[in-house]
Amino acid sequence: MILTRNRLGLFRFVLYGHAVLVMAFLLLPIIFIALLSFGSSRWMMFPPPEWTLRWYEELATDPRWAEAMWLSLRLALIVTVLSVLLGGAAAFALVRGRFAGRRVLKAFFVAPMIVPVVIVAIALYAFSLKVGLNGTFAGFVAGHLIIAVPFSVICISNSLRGFDPALEQAAAICGAGRLETLRRVTIPSIAPGLLAAAVFSFLASWDEVVVSIFMASPQLQTLPVRMWTSLRSDLTPVIAAASTLLVLASLILMALLGLSATRAGRSKMQ
Amino acid sequence: MNAAATSGTFREARAAWPAIAFLFVFFALPVGALMLRSVTDPQWGLQNFSDLLATGTYARVLFNTFLVAAVVTLMSLLIGYPLAWLLVMLPARWQQVLLAILLMSMWTSLLARTYAWLVLLQKTGVINRILLSVGVIDAPLPLVNNLTGVVIGMTYIMLPFVVLPLRATLATLDPALMHAGAVCGASPWRLFRSVLLPLSLPGIGAAGLMVFVMSLGYYVTPALLGGTGNMMLAELIAQTVQSFLNWGLGAAAALVLLCATLALYALHMRYLDEDA
Repeated sequence: MILTRNRLGLFRFVLYGHAVLVMAFLLLPIIFIALLSFGSSRWMMFPPPEWTLRWYEELATDPRWAEAMWLSLRLALIVTVLSVLLGGAAAFALVRGRFAGRRVLKAFFVAPMIVPVVIVAIALYAFSLKVGLNGTFAGFVAGHLIIAVPFSVICISNSLRGFDPALEQAAAICGAGRLETLRRVTIPSIAPGLLAAAVFSFLASWDEVVVSIFMASPQLQTLPVRMWTSLRSDLTPVIAAASTLLVLASLILMALLGLSATRAGRSKMQ
Repeated sequence: MNAAATSGTFREARAAWPAIAFLFVFFALPVGALMLRSVTDPQWGLQNFSDLLATGTYARVLFNTFLVAAVVTLMSLLIGYPLAWLLVMLPARWQQVLLAILLMSMWTSLLARTYAWLVLLQKTGVINRILLSVGVIDAPLPLVNNLTGVVIGMTYIMLPFVVLPLRATLATLDPALMHAGAVCGASPWRLFRSVLLPLSLPGIGAAGLMVFVMSLGYYVTPALLGGTGNMMLAELIAQTVQSFLNWGLGAAAALVLLCATLALYALHMRYLDEDA
C-alpha cells in the first residue's frame, strides 16, 4: 500500500468520489443502451414510454439482421479454433525453441496489434480485390484471424512459460508417447492460457468492425457491419438490441475467464 | 545440449511456421504492398506525399489527428491517475471489483459503446435534456458530430488503457517513501507533488504514449462521433481508398500513420525497458 488512506485525511473522500464518478462514466452508457433496447420508443426516448421486446424480435426475424448474427457467430467460432491452433503452435516454438531471431519472430507475431487496424484493413482489402477474396467467408476468416492470432500467441506463451517441461520428460520416461504427453500433461496444465486465448480470439472476431467493413459485400455482412451501416442511416433501437447482445457475449465470456482464473488460483494455493 | 535435445528444439521451432506463413501472406505482404503503392501509384515518385502536405484539407486532418490524440491522452491521464492511485490503496476486495469493471469496459464491444455515446450526446439526447431541464443551458449543446464528441468517446474508451498500466507502476513504488513524507508532516498535496508524481513519471510517460499511439490510428469512434468537417487520419485513409479510389494518396497517408505509430511505439518500449 503506497499510503494508508487514513493518512490522506479528507482528501481521500475526493479520491472516493472521483472513483465513483469514473465507474459511473464507464458503466452508465452500457446500462443505458441495454435499457433502451427494451424501450418502445423508436426515437429512443428516455425513460421509455413502455417496455417491449419488439426490437429483439426484429433482430431475430429480419433476415438482414438474423443472417448477420449467424455469420458473426460461425465466423467467431472458426476463428477461435484456428487462432488457438496457429497461435498455440507458434507459442510453443517461441517459448521452447532456441533458435536465432526469436525476438524478431515475437515482434512479428504481435505486429498486427501495433499496426493501426485501418491499415491492416485496407491492405487486406487491396489484396482481396486482387485474389478474389473480397466478400467471401474465407476472406472474413483471414481478416479476423490476423487480429486474433496475436492474442493467442501472447496468452499461450505466458501460460507455457509458467509450465515446467520436466513434467513432460517425466511423462515420457513413464512411457507416454509425444501425443499422449501433449494430451494428458501439457494441455491440461496450460488450460487457463488456452481458455484465455480462445475467449480473446472469439471476442476479437465477434466485435471486429474495421476489417469487416472493407471485407463485407451487400450479401455477406457480420453483425457489427450491419450495425455500422444502419448507424449511418438512423439510430433504430434494433442497433441497441444488437449492442446488448454483443455486450452480453463479452460479459459471459469475461465472467467465464474470471471464474477459471479464480479456480486456477485456488488450486495453486492448495 | 546433446544431439537429441537439439533436434527436439528444431522440431518445436517448426511449429511456428503455419502462423508465420499465414501472417506473411495475409498481413506482412499486403501491408508492404500498400506502402509501396504510396510511391508507385499512379506513377513512380513522391507526388502523393507532396499532395498530402500541400493540400489544406489534408494538413488540417493531420493537425486534427494529433490534436485529438493529445487532448484524449491528457484527459485520460487526468481522470485515470487519481483512480490508479486509489486502486493501489484500496483493500484487495475493492481493488478486484474496480479492476473487474475496468476490464469489462475494455472488452465490451467498441461499437456498442460508441453507439451508446452517439445516442447520449445527440441534440435530443439524455445529457442535453438534463442540462436543459436543470437550466444550465438554454439551447441544446452540439456535443456530437464534432471534435467534442470524438474526445468524449475516445477518452471513455482509452481510460482502462491508462489506469491498468499506471496502477501496475504505482504498485511497484516503495510505500516507505510516502510514509516517510507523511511522518515528516507533508500535506497530501505536497506528498503527491514531491514524492508520488516524480516517482510515477516513467509510468505516466509509458501509459500516455500508449494511449497517444492508439488514438492516432483510431477509426470507429472518430468516424461515428466526429463530423464530416473534422476528419481524423484513419478516416481519411479509409475514405480516400473506398470512396475516391485514390490508392496512392491513401497509401501515402497510411505510411505517415504507420511511421508515426512505429516511432512512438519504439519510444514506448524504451520507456518500459528503462523502467525495468
